[in-house]
Amino acid sequence: MPENTKTALVIGGGPAGMEAALRIAQAGFHAVLVEKEPELGGTLRDLHSSFPRWENPRELIDHRIGLLTKSRRVTIRTQTAVMSSVRQAKGFRVSLKSLGNGGREGYEDELDVDAVVLATGFELMDASVYGEYGHGIYPGVMTSLEFEGQLKTWAQRAGDIAVDAPHGVALIKCVGSRDRSKGYPYCSKICCMYTAKQAGLVKDLFPDTRVYVFYMDYRASGKEYEEFVRQVIEEKHVRYIRGRPAKVLPEDGRLLVRAEDTLMGIPVEVAVDMVVLASAIVPRPGTLLLAEMFGARTDEYGFIENEPFEPARSSERVFYAGGCGFAIETAGALNQGAAAAAGVTALFNEER
Amino acid sequence: MGPDFHTSFRLERIESPLKRELKDLFGIDVDTCLECGKCSGGCSNGHVFDYTPRKIVQLVKLGAEETLLKMDALWICLSCQLCLDRCPSGIDIPRILDHLREKSRRRGIPATRPAVGLFHDLMLDQVRKSGRVSEVGLMLRFNVATGQYLNDAGLGWKMFLKGKLHPFSPSVKSVKEVRRLFEESYGKKT
Repeated sequence: MPENTKTALVIGGGPAGMEAALRIAQAGFHAVLVEKEPELGGTLRDLHSSFPRWENPRELIDHRIGLLTKSRRVTIRTQTAVMSSVRQAKGFRVSLKSLGNGGREGYEDELDVDAVVLATGFELMDASVYGEYGHGIYPGVMTSLEFEGQLKTWAQRAGDIAVDAPHGVALIKCVGSRDRSKGYPYCSKICCMYTAKQAGLVKDLFPDTRVYVFYMDYRASGKEYEEFVRQVIEEKHVRYIRGRPAKVLPEDGRLLVRAEDTLMGIPVEVAVDMVVLASAIVPRPGTLLLAEMFGARTDEYGFIENEPFEPARSSERVFYAGGCGFAIETAGALNQGAAAAAGVTALFNEER
Repeated sequence: MGPDFHTSFRLERIESPLKRELKDLFGIDVDTCLECGKCSGGCSNGHVFDYTPRKIVQLVKLGAEETLLKMDALWICLSCQLCLDRCPSGIDIPRILDHLREKSRRRGIPATRPAVGLFHDLMLDQVRKSGRVSEVGLMLRFNVATGQYLNDAGLGWKMFLKGKLHPFSPSVKSVKEVRRLFEESYGKKT
């Protein structure tokens, strides 16, 4: 069998991009995996534990990196950005730029590829647009991604008596999501689950800390998801308060969260040391530039959109996977990466 | 709202001994409540409750024991068990209400429905004296005490004719045992 010479460019080295590159290579084609950060892993690198099985995301990343580096059909290019692209008869001529690699900074080269997979991930909405929550004003107020870092630090220093356990932590869901006034009417889909995870992890680390989750609903529509949330409420004793907080204000060096307990119809307040904002999931600005570069469809928010009846394809020879399409959890990103790879390899096989 | 709610409600100050009590005594875990309201939707008297069954569970979580002990729902609940029957988490709300009623009586909190309180007292008095409840005797005493002498008289007559009411109800064999039970739960009393 002659060696297949077709190549796909995969942009983004998170779980979706890694999965797409790996599956394309396993199918016998070439993949160039481009990542702007020095390491593969994407947002997953920043996470501490996972739902619904409390697994260490690092193990998944290392497993995939192991397979990718072993594959002779995958070229990994970290600290690299896609600068431009020209559509050709059957593919693209792209220009790649090194973002700093010991003297190679600014180095540009061109590459002909037969298809592209966009897997650029998501980011969180700037939570400081909510003056009432005080992100960027009070040091104890942080976004959920910042809090993942805090959880990692705590876990690394577990047992260290110098660690100051917080007396109370409040986690606020739907910060931005389901908010027409801020321009994000959609549900960010994964916050219910990762907030439950974060709340449960705080209780694991500091059993005496009081942990409150302020919610409008909890949406746990996935295998083992409902059981996961119930475990956090019933066994880890996280208090779920139904209501969207109206204000976070300072009180005696702590933070006072004000909300309504909408189940009773009474105003409630709670003093805590930390407030975690599950900020809305939004597309990265760079995704829109790439979409224009490759002629991909986007929706009104800037997420990549699919062609009718083609869930993994956005336009001819342009596939996508993971958070650049919409908020997605790790397992979903892997599935979408595999789906995009299936689209790429089906196309390459047809053209053999 | 009850007296607990005059100042803004501070969640971090909640201590709910009641919640622990229910867990320890009856194995009832209010944290399994899904807040769906199926209990309240099914409740046969929910439309006149000041706090519907779902809210009662919520008040347990909030540790609002004073409100619970003084609420009207305690005395208009029929103990029909529908809330428990409907509950997807199997929370024994009727048992919670029994517990609250007992607590409320023990603390001498007047029932919001005096007639219901009176009925409970008369019935228990009969049980203490004879070990049984005589329906006819109880109804007569209740009617006399409330001044509504002919209340349900027509219905009582019909039931008597069908053999559903027994005017004479002899004491149980060992009333002493019954007395002992009362003394154990109420302490020595007449």
